[in-house]
Amino acid sequence: MRHHLAALALAVSLTAAPAFAARDTLTIGISQFPANWHPSIEPMAAKHFILDATLRPFTVYDADWKLTCLLCTALPSVEAGTAVLETRADGRQGYAVTYTIHPDATWGDGTPITTKDVLFTWEVGRHPQSGFTNADLHARDIVGVDAKDDKTFTIHRDKPLCTYAEINDFAVLPAHLEKPVFDSDPAAYRQRSRYETDTTNPGLWFGPYRIAAVESGAHVVLEPNPTWWGAKPPFRRIVVKAIENTAALEANLLSGGLDLIPGEAGLPFEQALAFEKKHGGKYNVVFKPGLVFEHIDLNLDNPVLADPRVRRALLLAVDRASISRQLFENRQPVAHNQVNPLDRVHVEDFRHYPYDPKEAARLLDEAGWGEKGGGIRVNAKGEKLSLEFMTTAGNRARELMQQVLQAQWKQAGIEVRIANEPARVFFGQTLHERRHKAMALFAWISSPENIPRTTFHSTMVPTAANNWAGQNYMGFRNPEMDKVLDDLETVCEPAANKRLWTRLQQIYADELPSLPLFFRADPHILPKWIDGIIPTGHQASTMLWVETWKVKE
Amino acid sequence: MGAIAAMRSRFLRRFTRHRLATVSAVVLALLALAALAAPLIESAMGVDQTAVSLLDRYGPPSFEHPLGTDELGRDVLVRLLYGGRVSLFVGLAAALASAVIGTAIGLLAGYFGGRVDDALMRLTDVLIALPLLPLLIVLSAIDPTRLGVPEDWVSGEDASLGRIVVLVALFGWTTVARLVRGATLSARRRDYVRAAVALGAGSRRIMLAHILPNVAAPAVVAVTLTVGNVILLESVLSFLGLGIQPPLPSWGNMLTNAQELVSTAPMLAVWPGLLIFVTVIAVNLLGDGLQDALDPRSGGSR
Amino acid sequence: MTRFLASRLLQAVLVLLLMSVLVTVLIALMPGDPVDLMLAGNPKATAADAARLKALYGLDRPLWERYVNWLGAALTGDFGYSRLFAQPVPAVLLPRLGNTLLLLGASFMLAVAIALPLGVLAARKPYSLLDDAVNLFCFAGISVPPFWLALLLILLFAVTLGWLPASGMGPVGEEGWLARLPHFVLPVATLTLASVGGYTRYVRSAMLVELRQDYVRTARAKGLGEGQVVWRHTLRNALIPIVTIVALEFGTLFSGALVTETMFAWPGMGKLIYDSIMGNDLNVALVALLLATATTLAGNLLADVAYAALDPRITFKDVRS
Repeated sequence: MRHHLAALALAVSLTAAPAFAARDTLTIGISQFPANWHPSIEPMAAKHFILDATLRPFTVYDADWKLTCLLCTALPSVEAGTAVLETRADGRQGYAVTYTIHPDATWGDGTPITTKDVLFTWEVGRHPQSGFTNADLHARDIVGVDAKDDKTFTIHRDKPLCTYAEINDFAVLPAHLEKPVFDSDPAAYRQRSRYETDTTNPGLWFGPYRIAAVESGAHVVLEPNPTWWGAKPPFRRIVVKAIENTAALEANLLSGGLDLIPGEAGLPFEQALAFEKKHGGKYNVVFKPGLVFEHIDLNLDNPVLADPRVRRALLLAVDRASISRQLFENRQPVAHNQVNPLDRVHVEDFRHYPYDPKEAARLLDEAGWGEKGGGIRVNAKGEKLSLEFMTTAGNRARELMQQVLQAQWKQAGIEVRIANEPARVFFGQTLHERRHKAMALFAWISSPENIPRTTFHSTMVPTAANNWAGQNYMGFRNPEMDKVLDDLETVCEPAANKRLWTRLQQIYADELPSLPLFFRADPHILPKWIDGIIPTGHQASTMLWVETWKVKE
Repeated sequence: MGAIAAMRSRFLRRFTRHRLATVSAVVLALLALAALAAPLIESAMGVDQTAVSLLDRYGPPSFEHPLGTDELGRDVLVRLLYGGRVSLFVGLAAALASAVIGTAIGLLAGYFGGRVDDALMRLTDVLIALPLLPLLIVLSAIDPTRLGVPEDWVSGEDASLGRIVVLVALFGWTTVARLVRGATLSARRRDYVRAAVALGAGSRRIMLAHILPNVAAPAVVAVTLTVGNVILLESVLSFLGLGIQPPLPSWGNMLTNAQELVSTAPMLAVWPGLLIFVTVIAVNLLGDGLQDALDPRSGGSR
Repeated sequence: MTRFLASRLLQAVLVLLLMSVLVTVLIALMPGDPVDLMLAGNPKATAADAARLKALYGLDRPLWERYVNWLGAALTGDFGYSRLFAQPVPAVLLPRLGNTLLLLGASFMLAVAIALPLGVLAARKPYSLLDDAVNLFCFAGISVPPFWLALLLILLFAVTLGWLPASGMGPVGEEGWLARLPHFVLPVATLTLASVGGYTRYVRSAMLVELRQDYVRTARAKGLGEGQVVWRHTLRNALIPIVTIVALEFGTLFSGALVTETMFAWPGMGKLIYDSIMGNDLNVALVALLLATATTLAGNLLADVAYAALDPRITFKDVRS
C-alpha cells in the first residue's frame, strides 16, 4: 500500500503542469494513427496531415481555393509560355507544362531536390506493381517527362485539360535513397521503401519539419528540418498523438495533454458542437465548411425514383434549412448543388428547392401517389410509397440525419426504411455494385474545380460488364450532361467554360439524380495562443503552412 | 408430493438468507416488468418513442419528459425502457439458447459416455480454447449472405439482435455442457436411474424424466450468470460498432452514443450505464444466491 | 506425465490449425474487398487499377491457395507482410505484444495481490455484513461496462483532478520508468477493477470449501491461533483450485485488454486484433488470433498440470474438468 502512495505522490509532482508551459512544443491529437508512411501509397487523412509538415507537393489549392506553387517557382501558364498545347505522334493533343523546382529545395540530409527525383518518381508511379493509389496521374495522365536541367522539367500530359497546371498528387521521392530499394525488387517496393523501414531518415523529408521519432500506434515526433528554405518553423517540437476513442481524445485535450485537435482527423461534428458550447471560451473552435458534399444518391433504376417528380418531391419535403439550424447550429450550410459556393466555378443560376411540403404533395399526386388519409401514399396498384435508406453504420451524424429525414418524409406520406451497413460493406461492395435499392447517404470528397466525370457520365455506371468501374452509382444517363462533361475537359476559354459549368449545375438541379444535403464542416479546435491556422475547407491540410503559424505572446 | 414441497421450502429458506440475492430478484422483476410495460408507459405519457423533435434536443427533465430528451428530442425514459426490452431480451434469449444446447450436449455426453463423450468433450475443448471476443468480432463483421442466408434475414431491423443471440448460443454453451455432464455422470450412478434402466425404459425417457430434473440446478445458475455476461458483451460490441444497430435502442448502443456527449449531456450516458450496471450486478447476485440455495455444499465455486 | 503432455501438445497443434483455417475462411467472408475499399474514395481509379492492386496483394488467387501459401511460409518462420502497416508481421506484432503483456501483467499481479487477502477475509465470516460488502464490491467490478469505467476514471483523474495523464504509454521523448509510471496508473486500475472481483470470488469459495474440512476443526481444537489456521494451513490447500482457475482466466486476457487499449491509446495486441480484422489484414489477423488461441491453450494446460501436480489425489488420467 505504501508503494502506491509514494508512486502517486511522485506522479502528482511529475505531471503538475505549470500555468505557462514552454510554448515551443505543440501537442496535436488526432483520431487515427497512420498505417504506413509512404506519401503515395494508401491514402489516409491522418497520414497526409502529418506528412504535410514534412513534405510539400509541387502545386496545391490554398485557403482561397486558388492554385499555388509550393515546391515549384511559378505555375505553368499559356501566357508565360510554360504551358504549350501540343499534338503527339498518335494525333492526340495534350499540354506540355514546364516547372522549375525551387532553387533552395533540399532533402533533409543535404542532397538537393533535382529533376532526377522527378523522373524517378514518375518511373515508380507508373510501374504496375508499385502500388501507388493515384496510378491514373502517373501512368496515364503523364505520358512523358523531360528534364531540361537539374531544376527544370517538362511534363507531357495526356489530355488538353483546362487545369493543366495542377499536379497536386505528384509527391516527389528521394531518388538517392529510394532508387536502390526500388530497383532491387519493384514488386516489393511498398514494403521495402525507406519510408516504412527507416522512417526517421532525414533524407526522406524536405519540409519545415522532419519525422524524428515514431512510436507505432501511439505518437510521432516532428522536429525542425535544418535544410528547410522557407520561414522558420515556430516550434522546437511537434508531437502528434493518436487517440482513437473521441471521448478520450476530448478528455486529453481538457486535461492539458493536448493543445490542438485538427479538423482533418479529429472530433466528430456533433461532439465538437457540444464541446464548443461548454468550452468555447477557452479554445478557438473553427468550423470550416468544405468540399465534403453530403448527399443522397438515388438509384435511378428503382421504378419509383425513375420519375423526376418523385425526386423533386423528396427534396421539397425536407426542411434542410431547419436541420442546418437546429442540428448543426448553422455551421454546415445547405447544399443546393454539388459545386461548393466557394468554388470559382459556382453559379447561382439554377433551380432551387426550398422547403415546400405543399408543392411536394402536389408533385407526388401528379406522379400518381395518392394520399391515404394521412398515412403512407399509395399508387393506383395499391403499392405503398416505400423506399430503403442506407448509410454507414456507426457514423452518428449520419444516423441522426437519417432519423430526422425519415420523420420529415413520413409527414409527406413517404415511408422510409433505414438499413445501415459498416463502411467497408457500404463502400466496398454495396455502392460499388449498385446494390443499394433506393437511397444511399454518403459524402463525396473532391477538389476545387473538379469535373464530376466519374460520378455523372453515363459510361461511368458500374456494371458487371465493365468490371464495376466508375462511380456513377445513381445510374444517371443524360446525353446533354455527357456532352457538357466531355466539353469541360477541353473548352478552356473563360466565357465558354463558365457557360458549361452553369449548364452542368442546371442539369443537375433539374434532374436531381442525387439529393444535395449539406457541405460538411470540419471542426478545428485550436488553442488561443496560436495565430495563423487557416483551415482550407478542402483536402489540403493546415500543416502545409505550418511555418506561418505564430505563437502569441 | 410432500418431498417436493419440503425441497421448495428449504430452497426458499436458503435463498432468502442471502439478503443481496433477494433484493436482486426483486429489482430484476421490477426492471423486467417496466421493460415489458414500455408500450403502455409510452401511450400513458403521450409520447412516441421514435418521434424526432429538433426543437427539443437535450431537454432537461420536465413533467412531460421525466428524464429529459436526447440528441434528437426523443424522450429518454421511454427509450430506456425500450432499450431495456432489447437488452434483456437479447440476454435472456442468448442465455437460454446456449443453455438448451449445452444441456443437450452435456446430457448426451454424460449419459452415453464412451466415444460419444470423448467426441463431444473434444469439441467442447476446442471451442473453449478459442478466444471469444476476437472471434465474435470477426463473426459480427462477416456477411451472412455469402453463406447462403436469405437476404431479408440479414437486412431486417432485428437482424443485429438475432446475430448476437446466434453467436452467443454458438459459443456460450460450453460451460453449461461441462456442468451438466458432470452432474449427469453422478446422477447416472444413482439407484433410481439404474432401476429405470433395468426396467427397460428408453434412453430418452430416462434422460428427460429422471436425469434432467437433477442436473437442472447447475444449468439454471449458469444461465443466470450468462445473462449478465451477454448484456455486457452487447455493450462492448456496440462500443466497437458491431452491436445492435440504431435506430433500434439498446442500453449498449445508447451508452456508446452518449460517450461523446459526456461533458455536455452527462445524464444521457449515466442512465444506460447505470441500468446495465444494476442489471448485471443483480443478475450475478441472483445467480450466486441461487447457487448457494440449490446446493449449499458447492460453496459458490464455478 | 510425458504421454499427457504429448497428447495435449498434439491437441494444441490441431486446435491452432483449425483456428487458422477458421480465421482465413471468416475473414474471406467479410464483405468488401480491401482493395475496393482503398479505391472507393478515389474518383479516378479504374477497374484496371483495382485488378492491378489485387494481383499485387495476392488477392486474385483462390482462398485455399492463399491459405496453403501462408501455411507453408509460416512453418518456415516467414509470416509475411502486414497489408495495413507495410511492415513484416513480427515487427508489427511483437512490440504490441510486449505492451499488452506489460499492462496485463501489472493488472494481473495487482488483482491477485488484492484478491487473496480480500477473499480470505470474506471467507472467514460468510454471509456476514463484511462478506456482503466484499461480494458487492466484487460483483460491482465485473458488472460495469469496461469503457464506461475507463471514461469515468479519465474524467475524474485526468480532467477534473488533473492528477494523472489521460492516455499514452509514457511522456513523449522521455525514457525511464519513473516518468512512465503515471501513465500506467489509470489503464492498470481499469483492468484490475474489472478482474479483481472475479479472482476474489474464487479465493473466497475455495477458502470456504477448505475451512469446512475436518483438519481445520482439528487445528482449531488443538488451540492454534486463527491466523495460523487460516494463513498457514488452509490457504495453502486452497491455492490449488485458485491457481487452476486463475490459469484458466489467463486465456481471456487479450479480450479484456481491447477496450482498455482503445480508451487509453495504448498500442497493444487487443487493438491490433480488432484493427487487423476490420482492416482485412489477413497476415496480421491470423498470427494475432493464433497467438491469442495459443495463450488460452497454454493457460488451460497450465491449469490442468497445476491441478494434477498440486493435488496428490488427482492423477493425470483424471484431469478432464
